[in-house]
Amino acid sequence: MAQTISDQLDQVLINFERNVPHVEAIAIVSTDGLVIASRLPDKVEEDRVGAMGAAILSISKRSGEELSRGEMCKVLIEGENGYLLIRSIGEFAILVALVDKNVRLGMLFYECKRCIAQLNEIL
Amino acid sequence: MDDIKTTIINRDLNPYHSFLASFFAGLAELGMINQGSINIVSRRAAEYLYSYLDAKDILPDMSAVPGDSTAEVVKNLILYINKIISLMGGYDLQELDEGQVVLLVAADKCRICPKGVGGAEVKGTLCPIPSFIENLVNKIAGTELIDLVTPGIEKEGTTCKAYFQIKS
Repeated sequence: MAQTISDQLDQVLINFERNVPHVEAIAIVSTDGLVIASRLPDKVEEDRVGAMGAAILSISKRSGEELSRGEMCKVLIEGENGYLLIRSIGEFAILVALVDKNVRLGMLFYECKRCIAQLNEIL
Repeated sequence: MDDIKTTIINRDLNPYHSFLASFFAGLAELGMINQGSINIVSRRAAEYLYSYLDAKDILPDMSAVPGDSTAEVVKNLILYINKIISLMGGYDLQELDEGQVVLLVAADKCRICPKGVGGAEVKGTLCPIPSFIENLVNKIAGTELIDLVTPGIEKEGTTCKAYFQIKS
């Protein structure tokens, strides 16, 4: 039996978590800020990840345009306890990842690119 | 400007509607808000409005709210909320199968739409009504009467639809 889109998205997120140690939470969000698929621990509120991830990406895109920085590639926010990475998946979706500070950023970016290529095919 | 005048007259807006809808629209155009964040802040607004109704001593007595079924009680609570805050110029609540109800809002009569009233030029929906109604109805009832099924509004032609599950 063919997998549903939801199952396929979950599988991509599971693989991402498996390939990148130190991922704490990951979600696919619509540009409206609504969660499409996620793997989040209980302490992380899904609707807030969706709303904030989409808002941060949208403000960043707008800032990039207004300040002549060209098309935005990714948003990386560094905090005391780790990073928040946000990237577009095509025109209508976004990947949001919360990772701890011990992550290898090169590995994170590489896997993120691979994951987005897969998600583009599914969505 | 003519479009704005027509909107104000046709939708019978008061200054607060105009302010709120255009304020939300501006934030949306800057990329600062989206349907997800509107859902979150609408919950907060519902909590605040409940406190307002309480402070003014105009909360309805739930034992006096008419209705033979939960759906009818919900319908009367929405009628009461809309009388107070007058968000929707035209709407209906219809019962569906499997304990669901749908709130049908006449898009050209809505008074709070950041797109239709505020003129927000953004993709997607930006509707504060479903989450606000869900939370204020439940808060007034003192129990979970309804649960929002779709996280936002679905627009079909000139009607915006929000689906709720009636809780037994």
